[in-house]
Amino acid sequence: MSSRTSRWPAALALVASILGLAFAASSTFDYTRHLDRQVHDLHCSFIPGAEAAQGADTACRTAMYSPYAALFRDAYWGGIPISLFAVGAFSFFAAFSLYVLLAGRNAPRRAPQFLLLAGVTPLLASIAMFAISLLKLGSICKTCAGIYISSILLAIASIAAFVVDRREARTDAFLSAASPAAPPPASPPGEVAAVPPTVIDEPSVFAPRPAGSPLLILGWLVALGLFAVTPALLYISALPSYSGYLTGCGKLEKPIESTGALLQVGPRGGQPATLFVDPLCPTCKALHQRLVAEGVFEQLDATLVLFPLDSDCNWMLDRPMHKGACLVSKAILCSEHRALSVLEWAYEEQETLLQNASSGGGLANIQAAIRQRWPGLDACIESKQTQQRLDKMLRHAVDNKLPVSTPQIFLGDTKLCDEDSDIGLAYAIHKLAPQLRQR
Amino acid sequence: MKHAAIVGIATGCLMLAGSAFAVHSGVEAAAIRLKTGVAEAAKPAIAIANDAEAPYCTPAFKQVLQRVLNACGLTGGESRRGCQPADVKNLASISDDDFNALFTPLRERGAVIMFDDASEKLDDAGKALIEDRWVDRRGARYFFVVARASKTGTPEYNRSLSHKRANSVLFDISDKFKEPDLDKKVGLLWLGNEFAQLGKDYCAWNVSRKDRQCAAEAINRSAFVSWVDCQL
Repeated sequence: MSSRTSRWPAALALVASILGLAFAASSTFDYTRHLDRQVHDLHCSFIPGAEAAQGADTACRTAMYSPYAALFRDAYWGGIPISLFAVGAFSFFAAFSLYVLLAGRNAPRRAPQFLLLAGVTPLLASIAMFAISLLKLGSICKTCAGIYISSILLAIASIAAFVVDRREARTDAFLSAASPAAPPPASPPGEVAAVPPTVIDEPSVFAPRPAGSPLLILGWLVALGLFAVTPALLYISALPSYSGYLTGCGKLEKPIESTGALLQVGPRGGQPATLFVDPLCPTCKALHQRLVAEGVFEQLDATLVLFPLDSDCNWMLDRPMHKGACLVSKAILCSEHRALSVLEWAYEEQETLLQNASSGGGLANIQAAIRQRWPGLDACIESKQTQQRLDKMLRHAVDNKLPVSTPQIFLGDTKLCDEDSDIGLAYAIHKLAPQLRQR
Repeated sequence: MKHAAIVGIATGCLMLAGSAFAVHSGVEAAAIRLKTGVAEAAKPAIAIANDAEAPYCTPAFKQVLQRVLNACGLTGGESRRGCQPADVKNLASISDDDFNALFTPLRERGAVIMFDDASEKLDDAGKALIEDRWVDRRGARYFFVVARASKTGTPEYNRSLSHKRANSVLFDISDKFKEPDLDKKVGLLWLGNEFAQLGKDYCAWNVSRKDRQCAAEAINRSAFVSWVDCQL
């Protein structure tokens, strides 16, 4: 077998590993930057290391903020990003591939066997993450896709290395059976093309490829484990303490609204929480989705305060940030026992509603959408009582001297810091409301 | 094979060390930004939710209202309620016309509730207009009731009548809406006939008796009510 022919799987594995390492490192770098509890731009690109782009990173941000991006998220702020394990694993595969590439036929037979065993594990992990991205998150980030592609290439290379090795093994067995002095025998049927006599490296003195000890596989597996775990251990050792920051974002000074204007959702007797939300605010939608995904929202005995960032009803703004939010808020107020359903509908249809509000028909479009999905609310939406109730909700924010921003969530009367509402959410909830069970 | 193994191990160690160093450095840099507050300082300031502030809230207008609020029991923990004509005159420190002019921007926002001669009793139209104005609060914090009495009768009698008219409005709101802390929202001024009488041109404002003849005497048998959209 020509060494050039047999070495291409190792070369491919090396390229795939370096590519995977680059994407995993880029993703990890983005994650670690957020450990200062601020929001940063992401390197969301098919070119690893390309400049961070603002706004073009929705899918990557969705993936990063999801519960699937990290492990042990309730034990460490932000958890341990799974891309960190990929950094260690791809580093190992790069070094191992380089070794196989350089050693050629001198590498023991255990090497391609190990590559088959271990080289497909990134692909299995990628398949699982791809399914989560598609089914749970509804989007695939470019950096993640880069890792998936690298994993596929590595799996192809691993399988190819094993197949090539099997062919070589059969050839070696055949050559060993023949006399060293005898001319090379005709190839058995079906192997003519794969092993032409003219390309045998050392036809005169045949040296079969060493098999190697089975312990080699165990050793390499241990090494792979060490590579995968070491960056994670160093990551944990360098993490600062976040516990002092969690309760520093204020309290709800006046939690009670005496006229009963606020909405109650969720089971009575659960964890008391107050949520200030705008139905057309994308960040509110994202936080709601995260709370649902964590399994936390269903356990909240929640008081819902609508805080539309729309100057149509909110006197704290001189222009609308989310045009149409007042109208949708009134629809929610008018729905009472199905208020949460209307809010979740508004979140689902948020992009369309915002687009429609800014288009020619303006608020009439929003009104039509509400009428179509939730008929019978028109009179209530236009009543002064509903306006008054919404005023009272906005006044509740004034009475509590809250920032004019959404979402704001209070667990009990302690505010969940905005900085802890994304990758630090599970940790913050675990600390502020330990009785809440998270998925 | 030996050389390949050495190269592989060396490369692996280098890559692991490099990755670990990069990760550790990244986390430490974030930790430093967190501890020093550099990242926090870079955040834009966010406005705090507050009462509405309409363009008519001129410094002069706010000064008068603030004095009234301080002296008439709406701010602080005093049990005292409302201001008498003499108080208002002293507090406002401005002429009658200037005092009335301050309320001109509230023409659309407010309403003039009219009463019968020598009566503090609200009629249905008056009650309906008070309700209409009360529910249209929006971002306002204070609801002002400026009651008046016409020049007919003695100053003492008119002062008492004006006081009763202001209270009629307050009681009507209290009975209908049963809101707590009403005394911290509603500011009462009763002007009698010594200060800031209204001219006939106020008949063109949003009055409760649109179908009746309005003259200078009639418009001063009234209570002007309005939410005030000023941060006081």
